Amino acid sequence: MSDSQPIFDYQAVWDSRVILLKGFGIAMFSATAAIILAIILGLGIALMRLSRIKAFRSFAFLYTQLFRGVPLYVLIIWVYFGLAIAVDVNIPMIPAGILTLALLNSGYLSETFRSGILAVPNGQREAGEGLGLSKRDVMRFVVLPQAFRIVIPPTGNQYVDAIKDSSILSIIGVPELMRMAQQQANVLYRPFEFYTTAGILYFIAVIFVSKLIGIAEKRTSTFVSKDGNSIEKNSAVVGVIH
Amino acid sequence: MFAERTNKVRVNFDLHRESGDLISMSMTENDYLLEVKNVSKIFGDHRVLSDINLSITKGEVVCIIGPSGSGKSTLLRCINFIAPPDTGEIIFEGRTWRKFHSKYNIFANNRYEKGLPSLRSDIGMVFQHFNVFPHMTALENVVIGLVRVRKMSKSAAREIGCKQLQLVGLADKINQYPEKLSGGQKQRVAIARALALNPKVMLFDEVTSSLDPELVSGILDEIRRLAGVGMTMIVVTHEMNFAFQVAHRIVFMDQGKIVESGTPEQIKNTKEPRTQAFLSSILT
Amino acid sequence: MNTYQFSWTVIQNHLPELIDGLIITLEISLVGMIWAIAFGLLLAMMRLSQYRISRSISYGVIQVFRSIPLFVLLFWIYYGLSLKFNIKFSDFQAGAIALGITGGAYMAEVFRGGLNAIDAGQQEAALAIGLTRSTATRLIVLPQAIRIIIPQAVNVYVGLLKGATIVSVIGVADMIYVAQYVSLQEFRPFELYTFAGMVFISLTLSIAGFAWLLERKLSEGRSNV
Repeated sequence: MSDSQPIFDYQAVWDSRVILLKGFGIAMFSATAAIILAIILGLGIALMRLSRIKAFRSFAFLYTQLFRGVPLYVLIIWVYFGLAIAVDVNIPMIPAGILTLALLNSGYLSETFRSGILAVPNGQREAGEGLGLSKRDVMRFVVLPQAFRIVIPPTGNQYVDAIKDSSILSIIGVPELMRMAQQQANVLYRPFEFYTTAGILYFIAVIFVSKLIGIAEKRTSTFVSKDGNSIEKNSAVVGVIH
Repeated sequence: MFAERTNKVRVNFDLHRESGDLISMSMTENDYLLEVKNVSKIFGDHRVLSDINLSITKGEVVCIIGPSGSGKSTLLRCINFIAPPDTGEIIFEGRTWRKFHSKYNIFANNRYEKGLPSLRSDIGMVFQHFNVFPHMTALENVVIGLVRVRKMSKSAAREIGCKQLQLVGLADKINQYPEKLSGGQKQRVAIARALALNPKVMLFDEVTSSLDPELVSGILDEIRRLAGVGMTMIVVTHEMNFAFQVAHRIVFMDQGKIVESGTPEQIKNTKEPRTQAFLSSILT
Repeated sequence: MNTYQFSWTVIQNHLPELIDGLIITLEISLVGMIWAIAFGLLLAMMRLSQYRISRSISYGVIQVFRSIPLFVLLFWIYYGLSLKFNIKFSDFQAGAIALGITGGAYMAEVFRGGLNAIDAGQQEAALAIGLTRSTATRLIVLPQAIRIIIPQAVNVYVGLLKGATIVSVIGVADMIYVAQYVSLQEFRPFELYTFAGMVFISLTLSIAGFAWLLERKLSEGRSNV
């Protein structure tokens, strides 16, 4: 069974460092690509959800419910194994993984964006319309810029979730961190070491990204006036009163 | 102060009435700049405004007073169609505006939407909660209407914007963001923003109610200044002394209806019990 | 492209096994949730303790277990721990523990958030009347905090339910496992996975809907006084 094991076989991990780091790179790449795609999709769906056209609203609602209700694991095997058989299409695994991650996260993000847009005080919209700005201009110049600041933290959190969820892509064979850790753990018979290392790497990635989000949050709630003075706001919610 | 009552000349064209089109092209030569006719508004099952009729001549200053919930703010929002009236019409500069919404015809809805900016840019509105855009500097706040609605070039717009901010006494704050401004200053930005578009009518919705007491008189002075240069205005306010000083006409509203309307003298000596009750509770 | 003949018969034929699998999924998620509540409560208490060290440790633990993917934790427990320290976990146990730990980190935040959301003034008023600190917490703060905590807790549970789908990878015979197994025999993955997906979606949506109703019921007639 197990040979006399040291508490932690650093050597085994160190020898596999290139493989693991490559996997880490693929994981981060997939998560990032997926979240960017998810943001684009999510924004579109959010706007549809707020549209006056009933068909758009219903579609967007169903979309959101679907992708928030389905577990990622189920979705991915459905896409990669189920759909591929049914439609007789062979999607390569990395794009398939990224697409699935994107679809899933777009569901959550569309809700986030919708709340963000609705959180902009109604008076802003009134003032914009009162000036005579078209509905589109009000959205573009008044509402969305303010909503943007509001949604940065939750979007950042979604990115963090995407990084964690990328581990599930290993199921369909994507050579990301978890898969590589699995592989090395099996080959070198050191599951504890490799899964611990994988955990540490994910932890570092998450903490790092969270710090970035924190900085982004602070940056966008500080308004720097052109004469050089800057003021700190103490909350990310942009209020206009007093 | 008022325009001389000319002989009314009615010229009626009934230009093409497309189905459901909001614009009925009946040009009436009339001495009213703005008319509110049979306007009602319902929110849910609550009737906020019932059959309001009001006519304003050019250069007139009308102050609307009344208890909270009487529909004063809603009336203002009906006039510039931010909250279109459910019944009735608004006649402004000879054009009639009615609420329009087709359930199915998206194109007609779009055409209707496209017409509204021209109405709104000729009517300026200042809000109780200022509603200055926090992500833009004071100058940018003033300029955006000019650029997007009047289609001016940015440089021309900036010139006008600077001038307007100067007129409200904020020449040194043009590049400041609203958070750095006091309530009174924010409200001035809002006033400058509305005036920049050169409106024919100004609507003021309780514009001093959110201000600290020491800043209120500054804003009231601005309104006085505008009245002095002949701006047509509808001012909803709780500042009774101010209203009675500045208004040509006072309108008392309660529960969605106009109870009484008249000159400050007439209102002060009114026999109408509800008006009396309201005034005595305010003018301690 | 061949037209695919969609047929539900494969589902009908194997419905009993699929249902059994679903039950296992529910079981493991519920057991996980119980552990999560316990663990979360512990962490939350530590987080709110007066001792700096207690707060720091719990903060660290929460951060760690919110950053590590459930999948990795699961393998770490089932393969890593058991091999290294000779502990024998069954696949079900490993799954439940992994869910419990991850869920616990989230529940800790839910508990803390719920308690923090109650205006400090409530506690002050309670103390001013003469209640002891613990009674004040029990009778005044907790009932109000529960209103906030319960819907969030249900959300965490929905998350666990979705996460529980992973356990099929280590061999737990949940619904996904059954679906995979059957699809290998009958070559009908599309129908099976669609079925699995639909079941999960209805499940999570109904629970989420229930949480929403619950939240409304709990806030009925009580504004923030």
